[in-house]
Amino acid sequence: MHVVIINGSPRVQKYSNTEKIIAAFAKGLSEKGSTFEAYAISNRKTWDMIRDAYLKNDEILIALPLYVECVPGLLLEFLETLPQKDKHTRLSFLLQSGFSEGCQLRCGEAFLEKLPGYLGVRYGGCLVKGDNFAIRFLDEEKQTQITKPYQTMGELFAEGEGFFREEAKKFTGPEYFSLPMRLMIGLIHKTIAKKMLQKVAASLGCSGPLDEKVWETGRIGGK
Amino acid sequence: MVLVVDTTTKHIGKVIAEELFRSGGNRVGFELIDTTGMHISHCVGCNYCWLKTPGVCAIQDDYEPILRKMNGADQVWLVSDTRFGFVSWQTKNIVDRIMPLVTMYLKFKDGQMRHVMRYDHQPDIGIIYTGDGDQAYLERWCQRTALNIGSRSLGVFSENRGKEAVSCML
Repeated sequence: MHVVIINGSPRVQKYSNTEKIIAAFAKGLSEKGSTFEAYAISNRKTWDMIRDAYLKNDEILIALPLYVECVPGLLLEFLETLPQKDKHTRLSFLLQSGFSEGCQLRCGEAFLEKLPGYLGVRYGGCLVKGDNFAIRFLDEEKQTQITKPYQTMGELFAEGEGFFREEAKKFTGPEYFSLPMRLMIGLIHKTIAKKMLQKVAASLGCSGPLDEKVWETGRIGGK
Repeated sequence: MVLVVDTTTKHIGKVIAEELFRSGGNRVGFELIDTTGMHISHCVGCNYCWLKTPGVCAIQDDYEPILRKMNGADQVWLVSDTRFGFVSWQTKNIVDRIMPLVTMYLKFKDGQMRHVMRYDHQPDIGIIYTGDGDQAYLERWCQRTALNIGSRSLGVFSENRGKEAVSCML
């Protein structure tokens, strides 16, 4: 199988979590003897090339981050430029988000489920997975480690059944967290996570509180 | 205050505004922003508004004044053309860029994780659309979007139901 993978994230590739996920996924494809070509819509100059690849191939995968409950605005703009194709083309999706629970991605997934119909093509399913916000802030070794499960999903995809298999559905993890988990995670977010985020912010040059009401205090980045 | 943000090519917001004033809407504070000719970029996902310059978007274009008004409004009505049954990319860009109103901090609310909001007041959100919108999906999306900012959905109305939308503004 030859797969055209399109990174639908508007973030520059270097810092794109989706890009790291694609790398692991594509490794899985290769392991199973499939080939791929990868593109990213963040650079508008490549849009003609991506459209050309979309037209000439029949196995397309769009990997994207969830932006406010649906696809990012830039991806919507790109999608508008795609010509109609027929059912010989299969369009699958890998939808990832920062929020962890599966329930957070279902509204986005529902849009993606109907999208192939608007484009005239066949739906190949949607792999749904949250908890990816921190990937970009990790070192390379940890990034490889954390994205490793996507390699298994690449191997699964190479078997030809899109994301309709039970393993792909289970990959999402819990739909909601149980109450004890919520209490624990809630506590982490009130304490350790806050400190860690403040540290990341400081490394970017921010010295003020992350919840500063800037339009009231007039200070930007704590300055 | 009722804020209408119109990205439609037919400038439907103007029709909504006229309908509102006919219905005695001069009693309510109202502002119409027609984004025609404005430079409004898409969100590039840099996370600066959460981590580097909290509350401030790194992109300097015509968007920030709109966001300030959205933040101060009681109701924000997105007037949008539709594509793929959903709002246009022009409207989605406006929504994607509300992130400065949201902080990086997280909490659980009603069993789901949510961002802690930066400011105390949050606007309710409604949609008025042109074209072949997927009514059920737009309603679901509007509710989820409002949930994200701790407010509520005002409902979703096709342009020929503009009067109903206006009655929600009074």
